[in-house]
Amino acid sequence: MSLSGGVDTQWRDPAQRAPDRGEAASELAARLPRLTARAHEIAASVVYGLHGRRRAGVGETFWQYRPFASGEPAARIDWRRSARGDYLYVREREWEAAQNYFLWMDCSSSMSFSSSLAPEDKLSRALTLGLALADVLVRGGERVAALGLTPPVSARNVVDQLASALHANAEVAARQELPPEAGLGSRAKIVMISDFLSPPEELAARLKAYAAVGASGALLMVIDPSEETLPFDGETLFLDTDGGEPFHAGDARQLQRAYAERYAAHKHAIAEAARGAGFCFLQHHTDRPAAEGALALAMGLQDVEALR
Amino acid sequence: MGFSFAAPAALLGLLTLPLIYWLLRVTPPRPREIYFPPTQILRELKPDAPTPSKTPWWLLALRLSLAAALVVAMAGPVWSPSSPLASQAGPTLLIIDDGWPSAPTWDRRLAAAGAVLDQATHAGSTVALAPLSGEASPQMTDAGQARQRLQALRPQPYLPDRSVAAAQLTDFVKAHPGSRIVWISDGLAHDDKDSFARALKGVAEAGVKVETLGDEHNPLALAGPVNTAKSLSVDVLRASLAGPAQATLSAHDKMGRTLGRVTVDFADKLRATARFDLPIEVRNDATLLLVEGENSAGAVTLLDSQSTVKRVAMIAGGADDAQPLLSPLHYLEKALSPFAQTRMARPGAAEPALDLLSERPNVVVLADVSLPPGESFDALTKFVEEGGALVRFAGPRLANAADTLLPTRLRRNGRVLGGAMSWETPKALADFDSSGPFAGLPASKDVSVQRQVLAEPDPGLAAKTWARLDDGTPLVTAERRGKGMIVLFHVNADTSWSNLPISGLFVDMLKRIVDLSPQSAPASNVEDASATQALNTNDARIFAPKRTLDGFGVLGEPSPLAQPITSGFTGPARAEHPPGFYEAGDRVVAVQTLGAKDTLKPFDFAAAGQDPRPLQATRLYDFRTPLLALALVALIVDTLMSSLMSGKRVWRGFGATVGVMTMIFLVLPHNDAWAGDDPASSIATHHREAALKARLAYVVSGDRQVDETARAGLEGLSLALTARTSFAPAEPAAVDPARDELAFYPMLYWPIVAGAPQPSAKTAAKVSAYMKQGGTIIFDTRDALMQRPGDAPTPEGQWLRDFSKNLDLPELEIAPSDHVITKTFYLLDNFVGRYVTGDTWVEALPPESKDSGEARPVRATDSVSAIVITSNDLAGAWAQDKGGQPMYPLTPGGARQREMALRGGVNLVMYTLTGNYKSDQVHVRDLLERLGQ
Repeated sequence: MSLSGGVDTQWRDPAQRAPDRGEAASELAARLPRLTARAHEIAASVVYGLHGRRRAGVGETFWQYRPFASGEPAARIDWRRSARGDYLYVREREWEAAQNYFLWMDCSSSMSFSSSLAPEDKLSRALTLGLALADVLVRGGERVAALGLTPPVSARNVVDQLASALHANAEVAARQELPPEAGLGSRAKIVMISDFLSPPEELAARLKAYAAVGASGALLMVIDPSEETLPFDGETLFLDTDGGEPFHAGDARQLQRAYAERYAAHKHAIAEAARGAGFCFLQHHTDRPAAEGALALAMGLQDVEALR
Repeated sequence: MGFSFAAPAALLGLLTLPLIYWLLRVTPPRPREIYFPPTQILRELKPDAPTPSKTPWWLLALRLSLAAALVVAMAGPVWSPSSPLASQAGPTLLIIDDGWPSAPTWDRRLAAAGAVLDQATHAGSTVALAPLSGEASPQMTDAGQARQRLQALRPQPYLPDRSVAAAQLTDFVKAHPGSRIVWISDGLAHDDKDSFARALKGVAEAGVKVETLGDEHNPLALAGPVNTAKSLSVDVLRASLAGPAQATLSAHDKMGRTLGRVTVDFADKLRATARFDLPIEVRNDATLLLVEGENSAGAVTLLDSQSTVKRVAMIAGGADDAQPLLSPLHYLEKALSPFAQTRMARPGAAEPALDLLSERPNVVVLADVSLPPGESFDALTKFVEEGGALVRFAGPRLANAADTLLPTRLRRNGRVLGGAMSWETPKALADFDSSGPFAGLPASKDVSVQRQVLAEPDPGLAAKTWARLDDGTPLVTAERRGKGMIVLFHVNADTSWSNLPISGLFVDMLKRIVDLSPQSAPASNVEDASATQALNTNDARIFAPKRTLDGFGVLGEPSPLAQPITSGFTGPARAEHPPGFYEAGDRVVAVQTLGAKDTLKPFDFAAAGQDPRPLQATRLYDFRTPLLALALVALIVDTLMSSLMSGKRVWRGFGATVGVMTMIFLVLPHNDAWAGDDPASSIATHHREAALKARLAYVVSGDRQVDETARAGLEGLSLALTARTSFAPAEPAAVDPARDELAFYPMLYWPIVAGAPQPSAKTAAKVSAYMKQGGTIIFDTRDALMQRPGDAPTPEGQWLRDFSKNLDLPELEIAPSDHVITKTFYLLDNFVGRYVTGDTWVEALPPESKDSGEARPVRATDSVSAIVITSNDLAGAWAQDKGGQPMYPLTPGGARQREMALRGGVNLVMYTLTGNYKSDQVHVRDLLERLGQ
């Protein structure tokens, strides 16, 4: 309980820990088992189901028989079917193409922030959503990679693989505000989960670079409720979690309206940047259930798919 | 009017206020710190480095006032509503009258004394506090210590001696020249001497400044309460005619309830008499009279049991408390209580007469008590010789054993008028002699006498006769003996012989007799034995203080200084004998604040050369404490507000602290509730066992074989009882009446051994008391074979006769065949034991009444016969060894005799336990018939 405004904030500062002792990694490691468990839980409730492409193509399941057209290689003829009639038939399989999904969860210092309005901090929520999505995708037959960390895999234990990769990279990730540059195959899908508090221009440039190699995907903006409304009053000194100078704002209540407008503009700029690069923009508040975010993400990805 | 500072220099501290103001302005309270990731966005909203917020004006004002309050408090501000203080540097002697007259205005006196101490504090001088009651010479102390002593002062319930203070005053002035003397006076002269006035005058003439603070309150006092048969009166005193013209008095009883209220008018006199017109019963309850609104010991007077209402001690021969309508004491109590204080012996008292005489009654009433020679007889004789009135009533006991404490010689057995064996009819009263003590009383014709004792027609009998029946036989005779007198009613005090005790005439006759008794109780040196040893047989009894008055006239625990008084104490109350109730045993005497003849006299201020100023508290108002308190409160508020503004979590800690404190307060008071001792531990184990389980008991004779037989016999009887009846007695007990408490046993079996020493008179009294309280004793002489009709009694029989002389025994008879004792469990003809020839004696039943109609199959008294005498050696027949075999042969013998002996034993035990219950049961058939069943 606090005396003014009723809202309090918490922040774990990764920078205060000695980097060589791997505190950030162990801190992440401490929460990863819990988060993977929750990710499995949430993934079970989300079905990523539309995988048949409903057309003939490269695949394993039978799609249709069609009459042989002259000029085709004779090897394509399905002799067993053709023997039952007078015509030659070609057996077509349904076109199945596994996609490569690249996930990026923001592990920067600003993510380990929570206010008393939300049950957990943004980092936990982002990791939960990302891992849950990975599970859903793998079960849907896709290949999933951690952006810049692992090659795309389609293993059952993709959640654990991703978690150990994130753990190994925790020190570096704590300083990364933007998704890293990485080698992407063509038509890669990128899913970025972050608070996107970095300047929209930098993000736009990065997204453009992805789009240039043919990647598309979704951005999920994880928002703590207090970040949207500034629910504080009284004399307040705001401490920047990204290493900036403290900001003495005077009476915080007077800033509320202006801040809300400014934050909305920032969000809009991010959304514009995403749309410009062909990405889908989604947002998720940490006071809402995590499954809701996972579902929104799955649906958003299907929309992107459908657009193609 | 004056406002001053003890240390004005400290006010310079106020100059620091501007500095504090500036410091507070430039150090605003810390803002609340909040982690916030989008701080960069915030920063884009407003120019960087916002102006630091100012300290709020109210916080500034709070802190400045805190500082100012501290500085001003350091300067010691004092405000005096009266004149500026006289800065008297010399030592002050403060004399305070602390007798009871100062109690009503004690608060004002303390305030005035406090003001004097305040002045002394301010002037920095020393003070000697001299309350009048203090014996030691006053000590010089600083004003703070003097104030503590002042707070501990309480008014005393007596008038202290001023001559001691006079000496102290003179000595003090000699030792401390240049001192100042303040006397807070109660305005009364405490004694006839004027030494204090002279001392004051002398001191004043010597040049010492003397101030007298007087009192406009005129104290009232009560003196000389008189409780006559007509009314209760008391004198009200006032010191001067200027005092209140009226006073309201109230009477209170022991519990403090108001019994009556009366207003008395002084009518330009200094002494007035207030009279309470209350019924005597209510008046006798009054223990305390007081002047309402006058809270002093002098305005309270105490009424003790010594008041002139006569005390009458009553003793009955065969008292039966369980059935009051059969007890003569009941009728006596009803008849006497309107005009006399009645006292009865404690239940179970071994020697009721001695007990009651120690309470110094005016009249002793003996209802059917025969007086065997002994301590009681001697004490009563002495009581009469020294002026007591002894009133006796006849009865079966007296008719059988007349003694010398009677006005006339009596014929044995009296006469029955109108009984079955008589032609005569019940007799009425003759008119009273016009010169006798009952002259003028109407001889009620409703009174009839069926039975009376007869006086031997000696010469002079007519002169001794106060009342007679209409055939001329005396009904009331009296004789002067020594300084006292003996009055004998020739009938008994209950309704079995006559209906006199339930007539109004009885009350009037008793009232005349009590009025004739001496005014003051005869001096008596009768003490019970233990008290005699303790007090060394001195005639004066010692009365220990029980409840004493304090100066305000409130009864309470005696003051630690209170010492016992002797019975002759009459003097005024003093420090060692404060007014109050003093008691010795059951007697209570009161010591009054004022003697009966005391008056109140005003102090002669003119002789002392003094003009008393009225009591007025010239108080000093010291602002230091409130200012410091204010600063403390401001500090707390400031701390709270500061933490509130900087967003610290103060409430949680605050709440926890409050919670812990509450817990502590809740837990603490429970720690001291476990005191208390175990009263049971003082009871002897065998007494406890005896009380917990009913059992038979036998009296240890000292002869081993007899005791063993008795034990085995009772054991056998107990087995039979357990097997045949619903009564399952525990192991039989052996008792020694001289040592053991008998009250636990319903029945005692007493085998007589001729060689055993006679029990002492005290033991006999104890046995007597046991029998009167409902116990039954079976005396077994075991000599049926030795008895020969007409012979001299056997040794055992002789032993029993000797012993029974000390017992107050009723008339005995051989148990008739219709006695209830033969029907209580089995239907028996006689009670056999080892022998069958002996008779069984029980208390004689009243003669069969004429009007009982058809013959009743059974007769019973209303109580159990206290004595059964047999000679058949019952225990010998009951006795059996461990194998259940009989221990002794029977004479003549046979299993049937043994069975009949056991049946007799069962009947005896049932008789003692159930009384006359079976006499009703045998009528069940008749009762059912009458009910139409």
